[in-house]
This record gives sequence, structure tokens and C-alpha cells, in this order.
Amino acid sequence: MTTANRPVDEQFYQLLRRLQELDFVLVELNLYLDTHPHDAQAIEQYNQTAQQRWEVAQEFESRYGPLMNFGHSYSDYPWQWKEAPWPWQV
Amino acid sequence: MYSQVRVYYPYVSPFDPCPPIRVKTYQVNPQLFMQFQPENMRQFTPAEALIHGTLWPDLYSSYSGRGDQEGLEGAYDNRKPSR
Repeated sequence: MTTANRPVDEQFYQLLRRLQELDFVLVELNLYLDTHPHDAQAIEQYNQTAQQRWEVAQEFESRYGPLMNFGHSYSDYPWQWKEAPWPWQV
Repeated sequence: MYSQVRVYYPYVSPFDPCPPIRVKTYQVNPQLFMQFQPENMRQFTPAEALIHGTLWPDLYSSYSGRGDQEGLEGAYDNRKPSR
């Protein structure tokens, strides 16, 4: 597992941080919309944020490998999922 | 804007074996005064929201732990060893 560490640089942490921020906004808007299903502006913000999140996730995965497994992210050759750092190691 | 920290003065028994805590504080959070969250409230940026734990500044409630009681009469008496 520790033989072929993925490269971890400044950008790794910046992208991960950006993802965390966008994910949190999405959680907040999701919960808000559960009780405000007719707030069109919030729905638009939700969709835009989801789009941004997708773009950041794409960039992260293209540089540092898959964020999710079981078919929700792609992998290069050789199989990238098992490579360190694991989420609790960053 | 009201203060989110309120104060009360508990009864102190003359037979209290411990040093009395004369002033106690409690937290009243913003959502208690909001019947139903209005639409289009101002928002934090995503980075600020993550730090504050909410997307909406009007729903943010700071919590600074027991340090809230600093400077209030007797607040720290119970922390010092009595002997």
C-alpha cells in the first residue's frame, strides 16, 4: 500500500478543501430545500453548486485518482483505488 | 441584535458545602426566534460557511465554551481546588 504513494502537493489540499466547502454548501441547501421545495432561486443555486462540485471532483480525480469506488469514479492503469494516501492519512 | 448568551443568578443555599456559583449563563440560539426560515437570506461564502457550520450568517451561533463565563462573578470559583 505504501509502495506507490500518489503525489501529494499543495494543489491536492486546495482541491480537497474546495470539495469540502462545496459539499457543505450542498448539504445546507439540500436540507433547506427539504422544507422550502418552491424556492426556485435556491434550487438554481443548488444545481450550480452541484455543477461546480462535479468540475472540481473531475479535476481532482484526473490529477490524484478516484474519490469513490464501486463504479462511481474511473481508474487509470494500474488500479488506483488502493493507492495511499487514504482519506484518514491526508 | 440580541445577545446569544443570557445570564441567571441561581439560589445559593447557606448550607452549600461547595463554593457557590452565583452567575450562570446559557445560550439562546438564533433559530429559536425564527418561526420558519425566510427565503433569500444573506449567505456566507462556501469557505466561510464550512468554518461557521452554517450557510447563513443569521443562523450562526458562536460557542466559546466555558470561556463565556470569564469575568462573571464566581464563575471560576468551582474550578479552583477548595483547599
